[in-house]
Amino acid sequence: MGAPVVQVEGLTFRYPASDQILHGINLEINRGDFVGITGPSGAGKTTLCMCLKGLIPHVVGGTMRGRVTVRGMDTRKTEPSILAEAVAMVFQDPESQIVGLTVEEDLAFGPENLMRPARLIRDEIPKMLQTVGLIGYERRETYKLSGGQKQRIAIAAALMMEPQVLILDEPTSELDPLGKTEVFQVVRRLREEQQVTIIMVEHEVEQLADVADRIIALDRGCIVADAPPREFFHSAELFHRMEGARLPQVAELFLALEAEEFVGPADFTPYEEEAIAHLDRLLLRKRG
Amino acid sequence: MPVGYSIYIEKPSYVHQRIDPRTKLFALCTSFVLALLFNNPAYLGVLLVAVIAIGLWAKLPLKSFRAYLIYALWFLILGVLIWPFYIHQGPVVLRVGSAQFTRDGLLFGLAMGLRVGLMVTAAGVWMMSTSPQHMTLGLLRLGLPYKAGMAMSATIRFVPLINAERATIMEAQRARGLDLSRGNPFRRAVRYVAVIGPMLVQALDLAQSLALAMEARAFGARHSRTSITEIRLTRVDWYIMIGCVLLIAAAIAFRILGIGVLIRGYL
Amino acid sequence: MAEPEVVIDVDEVSYTYAPDTPLALDHVSLQIRKGDFLALLGQNGAGKTTLAKTFNGLLLPTRGSVYVGGQDTRNATVSSLAARVGYCYQNPDHQIFNTTVYREASYGPRNLGLPPNEVAARVDHALQLVDLADKKDAYPFLLGKGERQKLAVASVLAMGSPILVVDEPTTGLDLHGIRSIMTLLRQWNQIEGRTIVIITHDLHIVAEYVPRTVVMAQGKIVADGPTRSILSDGAALATTGLKPPQITRVAQRLSHHGIPPDVMTVDEMLACLRTALSSNKDARTSQEGVSDAGWLQHLH
Repeated sequence: MGAPVVQVEGLTFRYPASDQILHGINLEINRGDFVGITGPSGAGKTTLCMCLKGLIPHVVGGTMRGRVTVRGMDTRKTEPSILAEAVAMVFQDPESQIVGLTVEEDLAFGPENLMRPARLIRDEIPKMLQTVGLIGYERRETYKLSGGQKQRIAIAAALMMEPQVLILDEPTSELDPLGKTEVFQVVRRLREEQQVTIIMVEHEVEQLADVADRIIALDRGCIVADAPPREFFHSAELFHRMEGARLPQVAELFLALEAEEFVGPADFTPYEEEAIAHLDRLLLRKRG
Repeated sequence: MPVGYSIYIEKPSYVHQRIDPRTKLFALCTSFVLALLFNNPAYLGVLLVAVIAIGLWAKLPLKSFRAYLIYALWFLILGVLIWPFYIHQGPVVLRVGSAQFTRDGLLFGLAMGLRVGLMVTAAGVWMMSTSPQHMTLGLLRLGLPYKAGMAMSATIRFVPLINAERATIMEAQRARGLDLSRGNPFRRAVRYVAVIGPMLVQALDLAQSLALAMEARAFGARHSRTSITEIRLTRVDWYIMIGCVLLIAAAIAFRILGIGVLIRGYL
Repeated sequence: MAEPEVVIDVDEVSYTYAPDTPLALDHVSLQIRKGDFLALLGQNGAGKTTLAKTFNGLLLPTRGSVYVGGQDTRNATVSSLAARVGYCYQNPDHQIFNTTVYREASYGPRNLGLPPNEVAARVDHALQLVDLADKKDAYPFLLGKGERQKLAVASVLAMGSPILVVDEPTTGLDLHGIRSIMTLLRQWNQIEGRTIVIITHDLHIVAEYVPRTVVMAQGKIVADGPTRSILSDGAALATTGLKPPQITRVAQRLSHHGIPPDVMTVDEMLACLRTALSSNKDARTSQEGVSDAGWLQHLH
């Protein structure tokens, strides 16, 4: 087990001349975890991501209290460039995070900033492209890529920093269904193959339930739930309270079935395949 | 639909691949100096042909010169129309009312047109044969601060995006009844605010998001940056640059001696 | 009962963006009637936006014709068609440029040359519909994304066009934002009787709100009909790379139990299961089950 790779203690934050956005966040994330974050717009999810990444307090103004520790380093007291080698981030907008004219230039951007030797950077690039499923794309012009391809490049570029933690802030919200699938495929592969700890903010709860070890609900600046997907989606009152939160449709269904006593709490599932299997058995029993 | 982000045309030519961008920049400056030192149209014409020849050697397609040569043509016409009013050297060849136009006046106008054409075409050849990456890197190696270099690259990278956004904004506002086809130019310019406004806001937004993304990848962390693109000055580059210096020296000598100078005392 | 009149008639339309490029629209024919509420589905590049832009003359067909209210779009300017076909773009920030919500919403009606009191009436009505009436003096750029989206829609609604085209109005919104916009559109269609075309990828909202669906792939229409039959047509959807909503997929896997393959919402699935599973419970319990289903509304 060991010490958690990310630790948040009593984190509060307000933007300049604005209301408090985060109210006393406490959180611990262990190495190798895949943590999903969901919640309505304005809940503070992006703000939390920026605190974990160290962009708050170093780049973005505002009043931050409490402490965020990544790999034992206090984000307030550590140089942003050192933090950048521990935590990498993929933003929501596919366009504005791509810096390079070509794919290889963009992937090289981060390591070039850290003055890593050119030869080493060039060697890493094909490996990263393989991880995100874009082999051979080195010389492609970035403006000609699709949304899904751009976000995958952004993920590859983030991984080029060799971080222990990868944060993805709503990476699929601007993408079409194909793009969403592409990004989730990469994220699933990362989870299986790499040691990187992943924190992913998402509204696509059906796909998130499939990949995350644990999901956190953020509402009005507070963590209101933190549990593995099965437990997380099993809470009807949670979704009563959070207007903007989505449930996988099968989770909605099973909550309703449970309320009407067609199934017991042990049968609850947020997963599609499991739901089909449960319902199949249930209907078989009725017929037989 | 998307617009290319630069004028660069990728070709497997010697000029593209083997000559350092700094050398090409030096050659470009040389061509400008030469253009200014001669004012005889015949000499300038030869220089223009030489520049086109270099462009063709760089395997640039003939049609890519079209835009530059059209510019040249405009300036040629302008030159021939305007300069004869100022230059009265040489035999008179045309009389319109009380005005008299001389042979040298017309030739000088031709020369001025050719000069502009020459400079514009040379700049075009330079841009078409040097990739933005090499251009930026060349300037960086010449001492441009790396943050300025990044500003250049980012601008080039985002041109197609801004262009596409402009088109989209234009459509969106036309769909709300914006009509730019009628009214006097002033009125039309005022209405154009409906396109400029959102464009500016989007550009500012983009700049902010981009800055954040760049910071997130440690931009500015060190005093300098490494680069996966490489440029190197080889012997050939030095030969070319020495050749350019010699050309400039010769041109200065010619100017002093009056060779290639149609009208003394004029640039 | 006579069918409502055809308000947009797309007649064998082909379109290409530049010569020697593949056809963006390939012999497309489509009839949209007054009061229709239809969704244009398809992958990026399938031609949905291209087709929609022929409705208000932003694009003119290279072959074939589009008739709006009987008039060929070739014979009308975009600004004159704007009075009949309102087009709301996906990104509200591509439209917003005024300093107050009110001025922004009135831009469209003002361009149509309507008298000031008519403009005021339409703008007030539109802002009320989107729930921004109390913010009419607010600075648009200080509003949240969902509110800016609503402002963009209101700005187009205020033009009063009988036909409305909305391009991906729910991208990047949370559930609450999505429901706001879709409820508004449903109202605009059912209560105000407007014709609406919505371009979208989100099959959940299509299943829940939009009665007619047109699926496009590679510049052609591959399916056109009631949403219920289209969403359960696996073959048509497969060509577009789209999958039916999760609950529909589940229903289709349980078809051997008599569950219909065109279940579109969780409520419908619940009703089917209730019927299938209630044989063991007595009538009274089933009644409780029906009233309990009301709690699901709280989730919305």
